[in-house]
Amino acid sequence: MRPSCGICSRRQFVRTGTFAGAALAVATQLSAFPWPQTPMTANGGTDPYPIPWLDKNGSHNQPAGPNLEPSHIFHFKGRVARCSTFSGMGSDNSENRIAFGSPTTDYGVMQGEYWAARATQQGTFAHI
Amino acid sequence: MAPANQIHDFHPPIAPSGLYWVVPVPKETLNISPDGNTITLEMKNVSVVDQPRWPALNSITTPAQMTFKMVWKSTGVLAVYEDASKQFRFKGTRASCQMEAQMEVPSIGYSWKSDPLEKSRADFAVIGEEVNGCYYG
Repeated sequence: MRPSCGICSRRQFVRTGTFAGAALAVATQLSAFPWPQTPMTANGGTDPYPIPWLDKNGSHNQPAGPNLEPSHIFHFKGRVARCSTFSGMGSDNSENRIAFGSPTTDYGVMQGEYWAARATQQGTFAHI
Repeated sequence: MAPANQIHDFHPPIAPSGLYWVVPVPKETLNISPDGNTITLEMKNVSVVDQPRWPALNSITTPAQMTFKMVWKSTGVLAVYEDASKQFRFKGTRASCQMEAQMEVPSIGYSWKSDPLEKSRADFAVIGEEVNGCYYG
């Protein structure tokens, strides 16, 4: 009798299915992600997305400055404050006077709505 | 590039997602004046790392804590930045910004405290409203 499946016989399918099942079981055990014991959604985390582009050091970052985006989070709308190129002085616990700041000493605040986990989120974040 | 004489560099770790040196801000630590022209951010004991050889890829980090106060004040000078290719639009004003800070690296018994806020300055600052990514249009 010819097999009903043009690709494989039933016996072959069962054999393949057994192997596939075993393979799946092994893959589950080897997965880097722990599988939850209770039902849950899988929409991603609610942390903000980084800005997409990279700086010269390979980070999702950019300097602060005119015509440059102030925010460090993407898919965002809201209030921002940004600053850079700090200079100042201070003292360590051995009374040494030590300056702080450089052209890349920059900070920012972002407050408002952002998109994450497939939904709108509200939050306030600082780049420090 | 970090200055050659840099001996400490304090910042949050980069998140697994790539989110760069960003921490959540508790509501009570951010104060915005009713007219929106002054923004004060004051955070205590923020967990950061000290990474003196940043941005070297093999730069070792040491757990540290950072306490700071930062004040932005609008100068009233309009600032509008937009880049359609990067999907962002910012409308606001130029600002001044000053900060005072205190850093601690408990494992090596090191601490540093800045002079008062009034003694610092930032050469660039802005405050305003922005849209980017899926909100840009």
